[in-house]
Amino acid sequence: MGRQQGWFALILALTIASGALLANYGLQLGLDLRGGSQLTLQVMPAGAITRVDTEQLEAVKDVLERRINGLGVAESTLQAVGNDQLVLQLPGEQDPSQAARVLGSTALLEFRAQKPGTEEEMRGLLALKRQAESVLRAKRPPSSSDDPSAPPPPEAPPLSPEDLTKALTSLGIQVPAGSSEVDQIELLLRETNRRILGLYGPPLITGKDLTSAGRQQQATGTGWEVTLGFNREGGEKFASLTQSIAGTGRVLGIVLDGRSISEASVGEQFKVAGITGGSASITGNFSAEEARDLEVQLRGGSLPLPVKIVEVRTVGPSLGAENIRSSLVAGLSGLVLVAVFMAVVYRLPGIVAVVALSLYALFNLAIYALIPVTLTLPGIAGFILSVGIAVDANVLIFERIKEELRGGNTLIRSIDTGFSLAFSSIFDGHATGLISCAALFFLGTGLVKGFAVTLAIGLLLSLFTALTCTRTLLRLLMSYPALRRPTYFLPARQLPPAKPAAAQAGLA
Amino acid sequence: MTSAPSPRFRISRHRRLAWLGSALACGLSLLGLALCWLNPSIHAPLRPGLDFTGGTQVQVERDCAPCTAITAAEIRQGLGSLNLPSAEGDRAPNLGSASVQVLDGGRSLLLRLPALEAEQSTALVDDLASKFGPLLKSGTSVNTIGPTLGSRLLRGSLISLLVSFVGISVYISFSYSGIFAALALLCLAHDVLITCGLFAWLGLLQGIEVDSLFAVSLITIAGYSVNDTVVVYDRIREQRRTLGELSLVDQVDVAVDATLTRSLYTSFTTLLPLVALIFFGGSTLFWFAVALTVGIAVGSWSSIGVAPTLLPVLSKR
Repeated sequence: MGRQQGWFALILALTIASGALLANYGLQLGLDLRGGSQLTLQVMPAGAITRVDTEQLEAVKDVLERRINGLGVAESTLQAVGNDQLVLQLPGEQDPSQAARVLGSTALLEFRAQKPGTEEEMRGLLALKRQAESVLRAKRPPSSSDDPSAPPPPEAPPLSPEDLTKALTSLGIQVPAGSSEVDQIELLLRETNRRILGLYGPPLITGKDLTSAGRQQQATGTGWEVTLGFNREGGEKFASLTQSIAGTGRVLGIVLDGRSISEASVGEQFKVAGITGGSASITGNFSAEEARDLEVQLRGGSLPLPVKIVEVRTVGPSLGAENIRSSLVAGLSGLVLVAVFMAVVYRLPGIVAVVALSLYALFNLAIYALIPVTLTLPGIAGFILSVGIAVDANVLIFERIKEELRGGNTLIRSIDTGFSLAFSSIFDGHATGLISCAALFFLGTGLVKGFAVTLAIGLLLSLFTALTCTRTLLRLLMSYPALRRPTYFLPARQLPPAKPAAAQAGLA
Repeated sequence: MTSAPSPRFRISRHRRLAWLGSALACGLSLLGLALCWLNPSIHAPLRPGLDFTGGTQVQVERDCAPCTAITAAEIRQGLGSLNLPSAEGDRAPNLGSASVQVLDGGRSLLLRLPALEAEQSTALVDDLASKFGPLLKSGTSVNTIGPTLGSRLLRGSLISLLVSFVGISVYISFSYSGIFAALALLCLAHDVLITCGLFAWLGLLQGIEVDSLFAVSLITIAGYSVNDTVVVYDRIREQRRTLGELSLVDQVDVAVDATLTRSLYTSFTTLLPLVALIFFGGSTLFWFAVALTVGIAVGSWSSIGVAPTLLPVLSKR
């Protein structure tokens, strides 16, 4: 009996430990259960790199992490998935558009000087660009992401349809038939931007030369500007760049991700030394929000490889909460019915199995809290399946015990034989289940992985509870002679017309 | 001990009926899948949901006590004239052709759109709020799946399923024999096919779509099916050792009879929580629970009526 008591002590200790673990750590719920946003970012190969490897993925992740910290979202997690994807989870966040804006762009900042002898062309292009931009701004419906207190952008002379057509033809743009005015203006902007870039020299300073970034309201005008601080080398390069164009009428182009966002002329007074002091500002007529986005991006640095947002999922907290409550109630009431069924059909061992299965559920949850496993809907599916298999293990054992008893065996021997005969089928069932789990875990994607993890934990635990908990508890109860009655195991009419007393005596 | 090789229930007597039932169900399923494939609006064996097609799905809930009636056409009209912000170099998609569903008597709206950027979907929700609002902020859900992600998900699930099948067959071949393994896989295919067939018909008749949770439910059914079958196999293996003098048909009959109670009880106890989920669970889990219920019911049927009865037939050849 000593061995049984040892097992019993172990089970008791595990129960207490599990309870304590759950009380202290709690369960992590997935976004599908508690609401929030999830963004999947695909890292795209670019330039000489044709395949994204883990090192590059890590580099991209570093930059994105800095940007996320800059955004100040609480509890966000960024995880690498596979070789070339990152999954960002923002619990409780209902509007992922800012995160998407800030994370999605490469933020490659370049300072370029205009080539000499292109002043005339540049002036025309810039005028056209300003006009097109202001028309587009006026046409776009105000969205909640714009700061409502922001004053309207400076007025520019309106662009009449005739002027637009003239401008388009002068740039040699073929307008696709049936395109709307907005489409045409966007085409125009794209072409002017392309031509402006063509008038710039090579990039002389990049985002790597920055040490800090900030934003402030423009001293004159109404928009925001982004301030930059250079490192020593960057400061020197900036001084010599501004010196080279000071007073010439040529502009300093600030290019972000291949788009000229600001064109500044440098005054005559910087002819001698250029703009020194190691700082600069970009006045691109930003809204407060745009300035903040750019600041966060510049602080985090530019991405070594471009990323593309391939998936955005948002679940409202009420949808999540309602789901989890009703599903939990349904699942639990189903399990209560299972418990009643087990107790009615299998009597004493049925009750023992209910206790063992309750412990099983407790251990499962404790392991979820310990690893930790984030519970999602597929994870719950894995749990349900593992409960089904755990119940099955008990059913298999008890059916065998019943068979042995019907065959006229003594109680204690029936229990022992029942366990040992049922073992091979329980083991085979669990082994095949674990093989599937391994395949699903190592080859499957996110959802399937969550399923495989909970199922695997459930299967391993079920082997333990069915073969140890149920057995130990049953053996322990059998040490009380009052409970050693075959009729506690099956109806009397199913017992063989037994040799007197043999069934009751046990074989102890 | 197991000294009674005279089973009360002989599965071999009913095997033609069992085969006929399974063959009919499989045939109907194949027909459903084929009809789905031929249907021009689906053109796939099952009606694929957002997870597999890619796109954006927006669900909003209006904050109104008696909600004013709105029609899908009204919303669609508003969508068509909506001017979305777009990144440079891209054209904002036109939303005039979006599929719109009005649910709960105008309380909530479900929109299925081409894939939108995060900024565009925010603009869209703002637009809906201004036209049909106010909206409940907590009831809004926006999902965007890129077109490549769906196929990736599908491929990943299929590959992992195939590998797990191979692993299971190797295991069964070693601890039983090749024929047992082949039959276990046949059973598994039978269960998965019938579940898919049901959803093909549901997709045809009710417009029910399959999502990634459906893929998870198929994997669950596969796991359950194998577990169920293996237990019957284990009994057959044991009969072979103890009752070697009996014919294989009789051995199978004894094994099925001995495990019948267990098979029925186990299915019943697994089905209880699932049926509870169907009737009382959240709406997101409804079709998931339906798929699992059907799959598990079919799975226990095939482990009793299909795999064991085919075993003697195939072993002879």
